[in-house]
Amino acid sequence: MTAAVTDTAGKPGSKGFSIRAIMREAGIGLALIGLIIVFSLASEHFLTANNITNILTQITINLILAVGMTFVILIGGIDLSVGSVLALAAVVAGKAISMPGLGPAEAIALAVLAAMVAGTLCGILNGVVSAWWGLPSFIITLGMLNIARGAALQISDARTIYSFPVEFNNFGSLTVWGLPVVFLVALGLALVAWLVLSRTVFGRLIYGLGNSEEAVRLAGHSVFWLKVAAFTICGFTAGIAAIIYMARLNIASPIAGSGFELNAIAAVIIGGTSLSGGRGSVLGTLLGAFIIGVLANGLILLGLSDFMRQMITGVVIIVAVILDHYRAKLTKG
Amino acid sequence: MDSSAVKIAPQSPVENASSQVSSLLVVKDIRKSFGGVKALRGVTFDLRPGEVHALVGENGAGKSTLIKILSGSFPADSGEIRLENAAYAPAGPRDAKAKGLQVVHQEFNLLPHLSVAENISFEALPRNRFGFLDKTRMNARARQALDAIGLSDVDVKSPVKDLGIAHRQLVEIARALQSESRILILDEPTATLTDRETERLFDIVRSIQAKGVAVVFVSHHLNEVFEICDRVTVLRSGETIITEDIADTSPDRVVAHMVGRRLAAEMAQKVDHDHIGDSALRLDCLQVPQSPHSDGVSFDLHYGEILGIAGLVGAGRTEILRTIFGLQKPVSGQMLREGAVTEITGPDKAISAGIGFVTEDRKDEGLILDMSIAANSSLAALDQVSSNGFLLGGRERNLAEELGAGLNLKCGTVKDAASSLSGGNQQKVVLAKWLARQPKVLLLDEPTRGVDVGAKAEIYAILREQAAKGVALLVVSSELPELITLCDRILVLADHKIQGELHHTEFSEEKILRLAYRREEEGTEE
Amino acid sequence: MKFTKFVTAAAVSLMMAAGGASADEKKPVVGLVMKSLANEFFKDMLEGAKEHEAKRGDYVLKAVGMKNESDIESQINAVENFITQGVDAIVIAPADSRAMVPPLKRAMEAGITVINFDVSLDPKAKEQNGVELAFVGPDNRGGAKLAGEALAAKLGKGAKVVILEGNPGADNALQRKLGFEDAIKEGGLELLDSRTAHWETEEANTVATNMLTAHPDIQGIMAANDSMAIGVVKALESAGKAGEIQVVGFDNIPAVGPMLKDGRLLATVDQFGRDMAANAIDQALEVVKGAPEPQGWVKTPIELVTGN
Repeated sequence: MTAAVTDTAGKPGSKGFSIRAIMREAGIGLALIGLIIVFSLASEHFLTANNITNILTQITINLILAVGMTFVILIGGIDLSVGSVLALAAVVAGKAISMPGLGPAEAIALAVLAAMVAGTLCGILNGVVSAWWGLPSFIITLGMLNIARGAALQISDARTIYSFPVEFNNFGSLTVWGLPVVFLVALGLALVAWLVLSRTVFGRLIYGLGNSEEAVRLAGHSVFWLKVAAFTICGFTAGIAAIIYMARLNIASPIAGSGFELNAIAAVIIGGTSLSGGRGSVLGTLLGAFIIGVLANGLILLGLSDFMRQMITGVVIIVAVILDHYRAKLTKG
Repeated sequence: MDSSAVKIAPQSPVENASSQVSSLLVVKDIRKSFGGVKALRGVTFDLRPGEVHALVGENGAGKSTLIKILSGSFPADSGEIRLENAAYAPAGPRDAKAKGLQVVHQEFNLLPHLSVAENISFEALPRNRFGFLDKTRMNARARQALDAIGLSDVDVKSPVKDLGIAHRQLVEIARALQSESRILILDEPTATLTDRETERLFDIVRSIQAKGVAVVFVSHHLNEVFEICDRVTVLRSGETIITEDIADTSPDRVVAHMVGRRLAAEMAQKVDHDHIGDSALRLDCLQVPQSPHSDGVSFDLHYGEILGIAGLVGAGRTEILRTIFGLQKPVSGQMLREGAVTEITGPDKAISAGIGFVTEDRKDEGLILDMSIAANSSLAALDQVSSNGFLLGGRERNLAEELGAGLNLKCGTVKDAASSLSGGNQQKVVLAKWLARQPKVLLLDEPTRGVDVGAKAEIYAILREQAAKGVALLVVSSELPELITLCDRILVLADHKIQGELHHTEFSEEKILRLAYRREEEGTEE
Repeated sequence: MKFTKFVTAAAVSLMMAAGGASADEKKPVVGLVMKSLANEFFKDMLEGAKEHEAKRGDYVLKAVGMKNESDIESQINAVENFITQGVDAIVIAPADSRAMVPPLKRAMEAGITVINFDVSLDPKAKEQNGVELAFVGPDNRGGAKLAGEALAAKLGKGAKVVILEGNPGADNALQRKLGFEDAIKEGGLELLDSRTAHWETEEANTVATNMLTAHPDIQGIMAANDSMAIGVVKALESAGKAGEIQVVGFDNIPAVGPMLKDGRLLATVDQFGRDMAANAIDQALEVVKGAPEPQGWVKTPIELVTGN
């Protein structure tokens, strides 16, 4: 209902950003800058090239998951299964990569493919089941959370899979001009998602679906396939995140990723995307992921206790949503 | 003209209203802005005990804002409100109610899954001495409240969702009336009612008026205003234009005050009925799922024709449109498009068969309110404004601007959100969405609901123009004057059966109503 | 009192045998209650117990695992189900050292032999509930101390270290942290920071990276399990400090084998999880057969594992 909404949702076709769109993201951006300033003053280590590289690496997985989650939340859904799907995709890829008789390049290619396929299939399943029967995605993906986790444990026999080709591991810690390659992958993914959401017919309909499912249906568009597509994208990103996870840690653990879904949802919501759908942007999600990552990093540098850290993170999530509420009101009319 | 009106109605000059002892409520020069938008720019009026006072004005004139201030949703920025000579500034809706001011809103505030009785008592559920809900007392209280307004045919135990829209409206009124109220504000109470139900409502209004309650009646229907009200206050662009006695004015004058220009002539524009062509759509014994009749309904819709469907709420009018558009599957029968049997299994099929559908529910089904006018206009024609799946912003804007210009759409830019528009302009955007596809057949369900007088005339003109271009239009409406003005032919529906067909030469409200009530009168004696 | 308990137990098993169906039921039934089977450690333990059952062949094993480490609810339910089924012995690795005391007391009152292994029940809670129960299990604190000592020996006095803890509130996490702290005190090390990474590799990777930034002079890292140690090793590799900073872990999971071999991981501790449940079952069966109940803490073997 806000004018700001129009900027992100209604006029994606227009070239560049309008002032209001910038204003909208500016709130989150300012919060991020505020955090950065506080941490820079409080810790000499914070604003160093090394630490910046670290932060970028650390937010990568959450950013990838959050980009996929943005699609699902924009249509008014939720995907609680991404953490477990990540584990399943990692284990499947881990099995693939350790298949005997493969050269390193083949093994890596197979693993990447396996993780993407596993993630995508889980996403399709989430989408088809919830859209076909019109069931709340909260419940369906909660089911998938357990199915994928169980499958990951079953396939791996609850054991961590390790010993991947050296090349794969190298990719995990590769940097270009100080920027981690894995982060660049995430950034590229975010850019593509932003293009899709703001410049394509599909993106327009995703926003439309979150605002008014009936209006989209009556205009002759298939609501079913749109929903399936959103969940499929989310599953696909979980698969990509699994690959990054493996490359970074050089293991595939069936218990990987527990709780990742909540971090991804938090990034999306802090980024100003409405939980009821139809409103938000990938740019916001990017900033949201940064806020979570910077907070986690900075609070450790400050030497705050684990429990204080947890509390502060909780407070920041709530404050971000309250701020968003006011921003929505301010830009009204 | 305004000054003469004041002279004609000397007992209600707004200037010295506050000094009148007889006034129950006095509103003086209140103003309200939201952000940069001035919603109220000086509203003044007074309310006397036992009067029915109409509040009229086009959408956006400030009626809703005024009501929200009176009912305590938010305070005015400046100005004075006095209730029985004491300053009145409700802290919130609850406080307003405690002070005796009740509002029956346009949008229902009923809880659909709770019973009628629970809804009526919801604000003060009776408890027995153990603190449990006292159902007997609750039901008795509800019964009494419903009987008081003559709703003896409603079971207080049935859930609200099982009631028709009209009955929900009346339950809402019953709820408002059960507490001691001195002022009752009815916000568009007849928008969803049929004429018979409206009459019933008016009886209720007259009876509470007799008890000394002041009723504020907000309506777009001037005939109702002239039937039930004692005085009328006209708002335009957030300002009071005039307060007049009904006895001293005329509908034309009120409309003139509302729109600031004369529209009556435009409304009654002569219609040319000689442009009717071949059959565009034919229903052959099409039985909708809700219909009990296996022979369904059959009729022909021709190119260039505006065919109206009249009937009471629940007669099955909307269901026919939804079935044609593929939103529900017919039980039996078939549909012929240009003489060829066509099976339409979904909106996409309907659209590719050249059919468009302007639904009754503009806010949830017709528009994506948060999106821009341009995005809404192109929603059904995205292929025209994209290439390889990528949107072409410029082309989309051009399309929206072109369509908007053709429909005389009043908006800032096509980038503004559809929610920023008045009801009439929103409806034009819905029309634009379908006209973008250049439909051959256009289905319209209540095309002017919640639209003000000025925009109504414009929408009529648009529809006539489409018919003249050869489009076949099928219009469902609860407003008989609308169908009579607009249509070449009217089908009257009752209980999912066509009771009769009227040619434009034989149109009259009386004839339509007689057909609409036919079955009901056959079945029951009243 | 102990005698009465035994008689009751015998009576219950007799009744069961009398009302029971087949001859096979004469074999004592042992209910094994474990923690999360999603954890390799317990998974191994379960397999060890199954092998043990097959090898001995004179008892019936009924094993139950939990969804996750802190699923106290399911453990209580499992114990109650075993009471209802009238098993002869319950062998349990408690998810919570306090919450599990009352249900186990009920089991003992029903004449079931209870053996507590892996994590010790809280002595205070036992006292409050009037329960006397021995603990068969490894010395987590002692084990962590072994690892810590290995690190201290390698780094020398005054070296700066940090700890990665397990789940806050988990008893073994606490014991291991205490063990590390014991080694730090005795070895004269300096503790810069101590934080949880919830037993998880990815989180340990992040936390360790950030600790390295906050304290660039870290010389050694103690991780309360090997999953976290793996994350730490990867963090060091990314920071280009592999080999410079020494890491120790705990549990000796297969994945750390290569790291031990090439020195990226200095040492870990093996508590022979595979045998742990089997040992506890042996204890239980002896008590069921009439041997006196074990007293106090029956320590199971632990061993420091290094690359060489």
